[in-house]
Amino acid sequence: MRLRLLQSLRLATLLILAAASSLAAQGPALYTRWINYTPANGFPEGEVYCVTVDGNRVWAGTANGLALIENGRVKRVFTTADGLAGDAVMSVAVDKQTGDVWVGTFGGLSRYSGGRFKNYTNLSSGVANDLVYGVAVQGRYVWVATAAGVNRFDTYTGAWSIWNETNAPFNEPWCYAVSLSKKKVYVGVWGGGVLVYDLAGHYWKPYRDPDGSMETVLYRNQGLIHNIVSGIAYNHETHMFWASTYFGLSGFDGRNWHNYLTKDSGLASDFINAVQTHGNEVWACTQKGLSEFDYKTKIWVTYRPANWRALDAAKAVKDGRGEIIVTRPDGNKSKLETPTSPAHNYILNLAFQGKDIWVATAQGLSHGIIQSQQKGKINESSTNGR
Amino acid sequence: MKAIHYGILGCLVLTFYGSVQSALARNAHRNRVDPIPYANMPKWAVPFGRFRKPYHRWYVEPNTLGYDGAAREVPDGILTHLKTVNIGVLAPLDRNNPDSAYGIPMLHGAELAVERANARGGNDGIPFALRVHDDLPLWGASWMAIVKMDYDQHVWAMLGSVNSASTHIELRATLKLEIPIIDTATNDPTVTETRIPWLLHNFPDDRQQGYALADYIFNQLKLRHVAVLRATNRYGRLGDAVFLNCARRLSHQPVLEAKYSPGEQSFSTQLRMLREQGIDGLVIWGDAWEAGRILKQMRALGMKQPVFASSRVCSPQVIEIAGRAAEGLVTACAMNPDRTNPKWVRFRQAFLGQFHAEPDAYAAYAYDGMNILIGAIRKAGLNRGKIMDALRQYEMKGYRGVAGYAFFDYTLNNIAPITLGRVRNGHFIYWPERRTDWGGPVPSFMRAEALQESR
Repeated sequence: MRLRLLQSLRLATLLILAAASSLAAQGPALYTRWINYTPANGFPEGEVYCVTVDGNRVWAGTANGLALIENGRVKRVFTTADGLAGDAVMSVAVDKQTGDVWVGTFGGLSRYSGGRFKNYTNLSSGVANDLVYGVAVQGRYVWVATAAGVNRFDTYTGAWSIWNETNAPFNEPWCYAVSLSKKKVYVGVWGGGVLVYDLAGHYWKPYRDPDGSMETVLYRNQGLIHNIVSGIAYNHETHMFWASTYFGLSGFDGRNWHNYLTKDSGLASDFINAVQTHGNEVWACTQKGLSEFDYKTKIWVTYRPANWRALDAAKAVKDGRGEIIVTRPDGNKSKLETPTSPAHNYILNLAFQGKDIWVATAQGLSHGIIQSQQKGKINESSTNGR
Repeated sequence: MKAIHYGILGCLVLTFYGSVQSALARNAHRNRVDPIPYANMPKWAVPFGRFRKPYHRWYVEPNTLGYDGAAREVPDGILTHLKTVNIGVLAPLDRNNPDSAYGIPMLHGAELAVERANARGGNDGIPFALRVHDDLPLWGASWMAIVKMDYDQHVWAMLGSVNSASTHIELRATLKLEIPIIDTATNDPTVTETRIPWLLHNFPDDRQQGYALADYIFNQLKLRHVAVLRATNRYGRLGDAVFLNCARRLSHQPVLEAKYSPGEQSFSTQLRMLREQGIDGLVIWGDAWEAGRILKQMRALGMKQPVFASSRVCSPQVIEIAGRAAEGLVTACAMNPDRTNPKWVRFRQAFLGQFHAEPDAYAAYAYDGMNILIGAIRKAGLNRGKIMDALRQYEMKGYRGVAGYAFFDYTLNNIAPITLGRVRNGHFIYWPERRTDWGGPVPSFMRAEALQESR
């Protein structure tokens, strides 16, 4: 009986791999295996807000502390009891030169160095506000996105710089995320669009929704799709920056804007919590799943639990099966079921580890793995008309 | 002869048929259920409405605030383990903070609702308790209040705040922390335009005020050279923006937009500039204490132009300060306190008895908002996701409270049109009905019943 079950499982896995290989010929490689970290294996309860990879170490910011995963195991969970500034951890960045870990929390900014936390708060430092959403390290500088503006902390001198509506073109000072290139700093501002700081020229350039109205998108590729920006990601290879909003996805190539809504693309939801990008890939962390956009082939792939729409949502997640939706440029969609899935459909952020991805969800951290070695064109016979 | 009789009969039949048809058509037109435009926006106020159909419109579909997160899956709180069912409040309460003029009545309205709910047994025998935080403007320190409410006080929902910057911050934080918010005092229309599915807002926002004032000034009074004088704070900036957009779309770009800093005593520089422009009307977007001084100084300079103002000016304070100079002032009003509606009368008496002050719109909307929230908690149980689901059931539905009739759109924003008031003989005289006269049929949600309620 057990042998037959094992044989059935092996056969199912082979079939999925074969389907994934044929679906993924020339398109993006598909993540068909998911390992989830939940309270069942020592991971903190509640939402996972962010994830950052540092070699073989994975840092996850959760509603109940900062979790460190090494070699597939939850090694440690840091909380305010350990000296962390706040238990709700929104962002993590690792200083490649020093190994220091910078942690943005709803309680201030923390620096984890030499096994100890040092905290920077509104009352003890130049940090603009204790609601810290984003953090990024650029050489000696740490950039911090807070609810009351952007900070730059000089780790050599200890000096803080602050930019907000009083000294920079901020419509609103509520910053959500920060992304770095060699020459520029990109800041996603809630209600204020995208602000770009030129490191050589020391000036800010705003990018905003040109129609100026919250309730409309006047033209599809009009400019930034909406001013309520939730995330920002610069792509070092394509030199494009991508902004996630609760009203769709926007990319800017330096000349033209490329906007995507669910109604005109394979994006799972217009409500996007964060965006990440590398190579030709743009990843949108939406509330209806994780959507990957292959910018070169214009193919969209969405990952989520298979029966996530079930009335008993808890059952849907526990069931464990996943679904992959592939949307081709002509709008044709195909669907593949997998035995494992991300921990939840509500995706908050993502990080890359080689070919693997780590995904922050509303109910745990998920490690996505490509099982097939083969990359290629999506098999036309496997697609269905929309 | 017979032919003549048949002819007359035929004519009568045709006449009767024609009149029946036209009556049916009239009736059909009257009963037609028109889709409600976003924010109950008059046609002339639609952005780019005269030029182009937009590629996409937000906020006009049922799933605008759809939520697919995991909050409903969090195990429900166990009532028997609790001494109180905690609800957070963030309000400007320090009397040195000018916004406390709105925050204190707001807190009192919420307290009265909680007191009454507890007298009726609380939540299955466990009393509701307010966990109150002062909204301090300095450095946004109070923005951490929602974190404290969540991690230390374990609130199930919160009410607040007045300042729209604070409310936006709470909203941003609650997207992560997942706490339902009832916002009963913010005028900022963008608070409900974020698609964050954790907020219900019942206070008439700047959109409703801007539409009503622009319609009255430009369409009814036919004024042409209107200027705006507004506070340099967020309240002034956002309200003014709505009014300016309305004016532009009616082809009456205001001739001047002058500003003043909150707390300013002398407005002579701005008023002289306005006088030189030859304006035929002035709109003030600010608070009552400054509006009172503006009116006084304006009349002293011999400027007799009609003055219009935002709802914060609709306060006895403006008359106390301006005296006779306030005569003729027309303001947007969040509520008509002269109504004889029994709910309002009972609330007014109870409020007066308990707090020895007349309840204003901030008290009334807070009372209504807290009642909506308490109803949602009782219905949904101790689960924030389910409480928000219960609040979400107000989408495209009305609520009759002490403040009048509220109607919530797909963004859970109250889009019921507002009333206007005019100062006459030292008192505000309120328009007999809400402003529903801007072209086209009365929206279905504001037909007879609602209009009756608003009186």
